[in-house]
This record gives sequence, C-alpha cells and structure tokens, in this order.
Amino acid sequence: MDLETVKERAGPRQFAPKDDMPEKYRKAATRMIQFHANSEVMGGYLEKPFIRQAPSIDRKLAFSAKVQDEIGHAQLLYRAAESLGIKTREEMLDELANGEGKFLNCFHYPMESWHEVPMIAFFVDGAAMHRQATLKNTSWTPYAHAMDKVCFEEGFHVKHGESILSELMNGSKATQEKTQEAFELWWPRIIQFFGPTNDKSVHNDFAQQVGLKTKSNDELRDTFLDTYVPKAEKYGLEIPEYPRIEYDEAEETYHVNEDDLDWDEFWTIAKNDSEGSHEQIGSRAHAQAAVEWVRESMDSWEQASNTGTPQAAD
Amino acid sequence: MIWEVFRQEKSGGYHKHCGNVHAPDRELALQFAAIQHGRRMKTHSLWVAPQREIGEIDADEMSFGGMTDKTYRWATSYTDIEPAAPEVAESEAEQADVEHSLEADS
Ligand SMILES: [Fe+2]
Ligand SMILES: [Fe+2]
Repeated sequence: MDLETVKERAGPRQFAPKDDMPEKYRKAATRMIQFHANSEVMGGYLEKPFIRQAPSIDRKLAFSAKVQDEIGHAQLLYRAAESLGIKTREEMLDELANGEGKFLNCFHYPMESWHEVPMIAFFVDGAAMHRQATLKNTSWTPYAHAMDKVCFEEGFHVKHGESILSELMNGSKATQEKTQEAFELWWPRIIQFFGPTNDKSVHNDFAQQVGLKTKSNDELRDTFLDTYVPKAEKYGLEIPEYPRIEYDEAEETYHVNEDDLDWDEFWTIAKNDSEGSHEQIGSRAHAQAAVEWVRESMDSWEQASNTGTPQAAD
Repeated sequence: MIWEVFRQEKSGGYHKHCGNVHAPDRELALQFAAIQHGRRMKTHSLWVAPQREIGEIDADEMSFGGMTDKTYRWATSYTDIEPAAPEVAESEAEQADVEHSLEADS
C-alpha cells in the first residue's frame, strides 16, 4: 500500500498485520506504541514503592493490583508494537534499559511522599485515560485492541487515585497543605503530559494523517483541563497562578499559556537527560538485569522444546 | 486433521472462535472454513489453527478473576467517587457488566 492510499483509507481500526503497510507508517506507529509501552513500564516502576508505603491494607491491595495492571499494559503494547515488524520486544526492552527508549515526561521525576501519589494516580492516569480513550479509534488494529483492554482497567485506576486525593483533602490542615504543595510541584508537568502545541510537535501531523492519532495535543490538553480543573477545585486544591490557564468563553474551553511552562526542562527530559531520567532508567535497568536469569532460562527452555518439532520437508 | 476456526465479522474487530473443520492441510482448511462458517454469517476474515496447537486451561484447574474477593480492583467499589470524565464512566460501565455476569454465574 502506498502512502496516499494509507491517508485515504485512514480511519478507526483500518489496518492490520496482514496489510502491506509502507515503512513510514510502520515506523511512526512503532515509535508511538513503543513510547506508550515504555511509559507503562516506567509508570509502574515509579509507583511500585508505594505498595509498601500505602497507609492501609485496602490501599496496598489496590496499589499492587494497579502496578500489576500497568506492567500488563506494557506487555500488551509491546505485542502491538511488535506486530508492525520493525522491532522485537527484546530490542525495545533493551532500548529502555540502555537509555534510548523514550517515555512520558511525568515518569522522569522522583516521587517521594504519599501526598504526591494522587498527582500520578489521579491526574496522570486521568490524562492518560483521556488520551487512550481516543486511541480506541487508532488505525492500527492491534493497538486499538490493546486500548480496549487498557481502558477497561483504567477506570479503577482513576477512581482509586481520586479516592486518595479526596481522603487527603479531607484530612488535617497539615495534610491538605502538603497535598497542595505536591499539586503545585506536579501541575505544570501534568499539563506538559500532552506535549507542546501542535505546531511545535514534530510527529503530530503524520500520525494524524494516517489515523494513528485521532486528536491533536491541543484538543486533548484543553478537554483534559475542562474536566480536571473543576475536579481539582472541587477538592479544595488551588490552581497555581503559573502556568496561566484561561477560560475561553466563546469556545467554552480552557487554554494554557504555553510560554509559562519550562520547555527546556521538557526537551531535556525528552532526550532522557535529566537527573531524574538517569535515576529512573538506572533503577529499572538494574531490576531488569537482576531477573536476567529468568529470561535466559525461559529462552533455553523454549529452544529445547522447539527442537522436538518436526522440520518441514523440502 | 481438525482445524479450529475463528471468524472476524468486520474489519478491525476480534477473531472469535466459531467452530472447527476437518481438512488435510491449511489451504483446504481455509476453504472449508469459508464454506462452513463464512457463507451465512457476516464475515470479513477467517483464521484457522490446527486443533492440537491450541492449549487450554479451565476453571477446574485454575481460579480465574472474580472467584476471590478482589473488590478493591473494581472501579465500581469506589462508590463515593463520581467518575471524573466520560471515559472513566465508560470503563466503570464495562466493569459493572463483567461483575454482573460473574455474579449471575456464581
Ligand atoms: Fe496503564
Ligand atoms: Fe493506569
């Protein structure tokens, strides 16, 4: 299939592994899905320590279920990415360990206190789900199928995160203040989740033309703000003065003043080059190396059992 | 040889198991599958796989999801929280459907 045909036919769940897709499509889809898969892994690792730190047995159970889900999402997504024939799962996991693999900006920052937890578990999961719901209509069918299952599970993540936020904001004055502090720290990062405005984002156009994406960064960011700004306020969180967020009466949507955000930091992170990037990638790489023996023993088992299969006569 | 048949109704959908056919090789299995399973039902694509290549584990050997109390992992358990966004409500509705079908079975 040539690129023109791809653009003409682009629509929800239009293309499948049996279609002969041009390399440009397969590479763009791989980049996007690999990024998504990596982000699931790194998000899971960021939250993992909070299974131990959770303040009650209910939170502990829910948190461990959530982390399990995230790693499961990564597995689904690596399969969807592999189905494009550009990279194997092995290659993608290695790239993540050696610092080449890219992932979501929010997962490059350390998360230390329980007050920070809902910033990820409510706002970042909420933002992710907002985006993922639109990806059910992506043109690469295996990706859309992965989104069906991911979105099925994510509702619990977002509600669990919101429940933690609600609990904290109904706590003591000191707890509320610490939660507000955490919110101020994370809020700009959460807005940057959706990336820069459309004209600054490099891969955006092509991904939309071929139906990999159905909504632009701007649309997603604005509609996210429409839902989550009132939510934050409902729990008594104060929206920081910067970045300036204005409500556009005519369009009935929020807009963010992009110049108020730290884009140097964003692009440093995008290159995996912040202090936090090194920290997060390093600890994940360490964990991967520690269980190398498990993968090795599975590989040798697979090879041993394959030799039993009769070879095709030629 | 027996081949299991999976039918996809429309482009972009899932291939769902719909039956099996006798056939000496894959090519004939595809043809027989097309005749037996694709002729009447709405079909966009069919898959065939040799029956002996299919693995199975069932509820006698394994306790699958929903058999133990894991209410903490259902969106529906957080009753004091209204879904924050339409996509959260949709996810919760899908989970509620599954919960109901699990309850109906038990
Ligand atoms: Fe996830
Ligand atoms: Fe999640």
